[in-house]
Amino acid sequence: MTVTWNDSVPIYRQLRERVVAMILDGALQEGDPLPSVRQVAADFQINPLTVSKAYQELVDEHLVEKRRGLGMYVVDGAREALLKSERERFLREEWPPLFARLKRMGLDLKILLREAEKLEESSR
Amino acid sequence: MSALIEARGLRKRYRNTVALDGISFKVEPGRIVGLIGPNGAGKTTALKAVLGLTDFDGDLSVLGLDPRTQRDRLMQQVSFIADVAVLPRWLRVGDAVDFVGGVHPRFNRARCEQFLARTKLQSRMKVRELSKGMIVQLHLALVMAIDARLLVLDEPTLGLDILYRKQFYQSLLEDYFDAEKTILVTTHQVEEVEHILTDLMFIRDGRIVLDASMDAIGERYAEVLVNADRAEAARALKPLDERQVFGKSIFLFDGVDHAQLEALGEIRRPAIVDLFVATMKGTYA
Repeated sequence: MTVTWNDSVPIYRQLRERVVAMILDGALQEGDPLPSVRQVAADFQINPLTVSKAYQELVDEHLVEKRRGLGMYVVDGAREALLKSERERFLREEWPPLFARLKRMGLDLKILLREAEKLEESSR
Repeated sequence: MSALIEARGLRKRYRNTVALDGISFKVEPGRIVGLIGPNGAGKTTALKAVLGLTDFDGDLSVLGLDPRTQRDRLMQQVSFIADVAVLPRWLRVGDAVDFVGGVHPRFNRARCEQFLARTKLQSRMKVRELSKGMIVQLHLALVMAIDARLLVLDEPTLGLDILYRKQFYQSLLEDYFDAEKTILVTTHQVEEVEHILTDLMFIRDGRIVLDASMDAIGERYAEVLVNADRAEAARALKPLDERQVFGKSIFLFDGVDHAQLEALGEIRRPAIVDLFVATMKGTYA
């Protein structure tokens, strides 16, 4: 597998983001094991220490837990906790500039709401 | 635990050239160390010294042993793949396995056969009939079945196609490397080991010019993409190197505070290749 890493962010952070994305989109369910450090290191051709560091971050954030002799597992409630922090982050970091842009373009919230309903309608 | 390899003031002179000019370094256990340098910099001589294949002046301890006088004991714990795959051409694959099984006390035959089963190698095949990639596969299968503490690789993927090269490091990481093992590798294919290494050493004209962990390198060196209007400010910080891309300048800094660099532009971790080129400037001039 060939992965292009972004040079401005350490690889262990990018690996952490990948696992987080997998938990959010359901590819990794709560209670599922994470792939072993060895497997990830071999698949991505990166040092095992880098993988361990990424996993340790997730442990520190209480998203995964280490089960002795078995490996790393996604903890119950990980997805909900991630969604909560992702929502907060969106409102804090992404929403203000987006809102400013909408205002500049003169798109008011009523129009957006109507468009959102249309999208909901068509995806049903 | 003490260092797995400890070298102090290694010197080696061939008739007209100095191959090692008093180098000192340490390799800790559980690391994957890249020894990178231009042709003729002394890489292979350094590896030969570690393996007890050449004599030299200075102090060298490998696994607590002196490679010059305790080579027999050392070889039970050290494996080696050379850039010139040196298996005799008349040897059959099965004979090679029998031979290593016969001479090496730490060789696990079942494990070796398990690795070979994943390749197209057949026991009856002669080395003469194998492609370069298959010879390396055989070599790797023999070496990975040896429970050694140190694995030395000298340009292990030289001349291999992309598929064999990827597979080579993948096998090492998946089936061989663990916290008890140490790998020392020289290669010109820096990109393919870039993220595998824990430590990096640059060697030039028989001297070690860089010796640091990859983490430390990430903290010490930074590459900054700078717009033309800030280029002068960047130059004032004494960059190691400057190159131009699409009207912007890319500066490489050594030991400049990242907070200070952020004001100049986007910071990136330099690729080993760029670090290498900047460090080796003027080598062939």
